[in-house]
Order: sequence, then structure tokens, then C-alpha cells
Amino acid sequence: MAEAEESPGDPGTASPRPLMRDLKAVGKKFMHVLYPRRSNTLLRDWDLWGPLILCVTLALMLQRGSADSEKDGGPQFAEVFVVVWFGAVTITVNSKLLGGNISFFQSLCVLGYCILPLTVAMLICRLVLLAEPGPINFMVRLFVVTVMFAWSVVASTAFLADSQPPNRKALAIYPVFLFYFVISWMILTFTP
Amino acid sequence: RLQQIFNDDTEDVSLFDAEEETTNRPKKSKIRHPVASFFHLFFRVSAIIVYLLCELLSSSFIACMVTIILLLSCDFWAVKNVTGRLMVGLRWWNHIDEDGKSHWVFESRKASPQENKAVSEAESRIFWLGLIACPVLWVIFAFSALFSFRVKWLAVVIMGVVLQGANLYGYIRCKVGSRKNFTSMATSYLGKQFLRQNTGGDQTS
Repeated sequence: MAEAEESPGDPGTASPRPLMRDLKAVGKKFMHVLYPRRSNTLLRDWDLWGPLILCVTLALMLQRGSADSEKDGGPQFAEVFVVVWFGAVTITVNSKLLGGNISFFQSLCVLGYCILPLTVAMLICRLVLLAEPGPINFMVRLFVVTVMFAWSVVASTAFLADSQPPNRKALAIYPVFLFYFVISWMILTFTP
Repeated sequence: RLQQIFNDDTEDVSLFDAEEETTNRPKKSKIRHPVASFFHLFFRVSAIIVYLLCELLSSSFIACMVTIILLLSCDFWAVKNVTGRLMVGLRWWNHIDEDGKSHWVFESRKASPQENKAVSEAESRIFWLGLIACPVLWVIFAFSALFSFRVKWLAVVIMGVVLQGANLYGYIRCKVGSRKNFTSMATSYLGKQFLRQNTGGDQTS
């Protein structure tokens, strides 16, 4: 379920699927997100491992106050998970209801992988936050998050736009915009 | 077309009593893939143990949660892609064709006598036991987390239910597909049990 694309040339169904092939496929998709072009790779050969890795990384980085032991960061971790997965599922259901011809898991795959720029933004923000706080600090983070947000939206529309009916494109893209906006907001308002 | 290669002349492999159906196949009761059998159970059981003992093992909720997520992911990949194929000769996946339509494919391996790749009975038991028992446990955990209001665990428990339930569903469909008709499988199994009890025949075990 978490990946597609089995090669029929596998010698009988007895041989296990090679791990390296899956790892390389995940890496290839990360590259496709970073340099978005209209291509079919994310769609034809979908997998959900990339989104899972990104979601866990983002959730770990969005922990606040490790000194605050009774809160323990638990709720925020689950919060990020819920926002990402529930948001992605909602967008997918929305796009299917609007008549898009993309499968459920393909859409989840695209939306999940396009979180990569925002994860990079989170990394950069955490590094910037190690410096002294102040308006310059905030401006830098705002700039980085805005650029990465735009990158995420552009990447996901490059992959998703073709599958939407032409007169409903804006209706289908708007929730994607909102989804990445919420994640960007969580990243921007993060204080350790 | 792929399905035909695997489903023509598929030997009947019943869910619970392997020896009943396969009179023309040598009975195998030893474990032929010990590493796969070990890992099939290791990830699932470890995830459950970590979930139950999280309070004792570590004071950090995050560490436990990430560990369980890692174990569940490894388990999903291992069971779907490795242990199912080696231990019981079944596989399932999703295929997107050129039109962009998605198909789910469920296959079972045809065991030809000269290949000597018969399904081992012990492995089959281990496989199905692990596959069925663990999702049931995760569903029980889900209800328990819900009703005792330990809601922060719900995310990871739901993930457990979904991932392990998906493998269970996929493999049952592979098994059922190889029999072509689920009702005939159920009735033939029940019929055999009935006959066996009434004629008092001794089992070959």
C-alpha cells in the first residue's frame, strides 16, 4: 500500500522486494520536489515513506521547551501529525469530490512530498533562532518561510494541476494553499 | 494478465490446516526462512511491548512515540515486501497504468513441484498468527485509549491499526483471490470440519 510499482520481471513472487530500490525512489522524489517540473514520477510511482519521514522530522523540530518536563512536548507532536495527515486527506477528498482523476494515495503522496521545502525552512529557522532575538531575526525567518511556502505551493500545483478539471482548478488549489499556509504559520510562530 | 500466470493451477492453501488440502505436496514442518520469520514477529511484538511499557522504559513520551512509529513502519515494509513473499508466497501492491487509473493487485504464488518451493506449515502458522493477532491488539488499544482519555496516544495507536490492518486486509485478499470464491472456501472448510468430527477419522498431523 505504501508504494506502487512492482516490476513483473521479479523472479516469481518468492523474491523479496529490494530495499535499495525503495530508498532510491524516495530520494528521486525528493529531488523532483526541489526542482519541480511537470513530470509524472510522483504520480505514477507513489509512495508514502517520504511524507512519513518529513512529518516525523517536522514534528520533532516543532517541539518546544525540553526543559519543561511535565508538558513533555507530547501534544505538539501529535498535533503536527494530525494537521498534516488530516489536512492532506481532506484536500484529497475535496479534489475527488470536484471530479479530479487522481487516486487517493497519489494525492497524499504529492502533498506529503511537497512539505519538503517547509521542512527545510523549519531547519533554517531553528538555526536562526540560536542567534539573538529581535526584529531582524524575525524578518529573516519571515523571508525564509515565505519563500519556502511559495516553493511548496508551486511544486504541488505543478504535479496536481493536470489532474483537475479545467474550470475547477482554483477550487482544487485553494485548499492546498491553505494547508501549506497553516504549516508555515506553525513554523513561523515557533519559539523554543 | 499477471494474475492469470499466478492463479492458474494455484494449489489450494487453506487458512488453518495446511496438511488437509495438499496431498500431492511434501509436508514441510520445518522453518525454511528463520530470519524472515524472526523479523516478521520482531517488529510487531516490539511495537506492542514499547507501547505497553512506555512509562517504565523512558520518561520521554516523544522518544516512545518515535520508536513505535519507526517499528510500525519497518514492520509494514518488512511484512508487505519480504515476509509475505518468502513465508507464504503471497504479494499485493498497487499499480497505476498509463491512463492514470489505479489497480490493486493481489497474487499468490503457484507452487510447482519441481521448484521445491512448497509453503512450510510452521512458517504459515507463524505468519498468519502474527498477521492477525497484532492488529486485533491495536484495535483493543485504540478503544482503551479512547475510553480512558489517553488521547495523546491515539495518533500512534491509529497508525498501528491502519498499517497492520492494511497488511492483514491485503494478504487475506491474496488468499481469498487464490480460491476464487470466498463463500466456497468457507463452506468447504466448515464441511470438512463437520465430516471430520462425525466420521471420527484420524488426522494426519
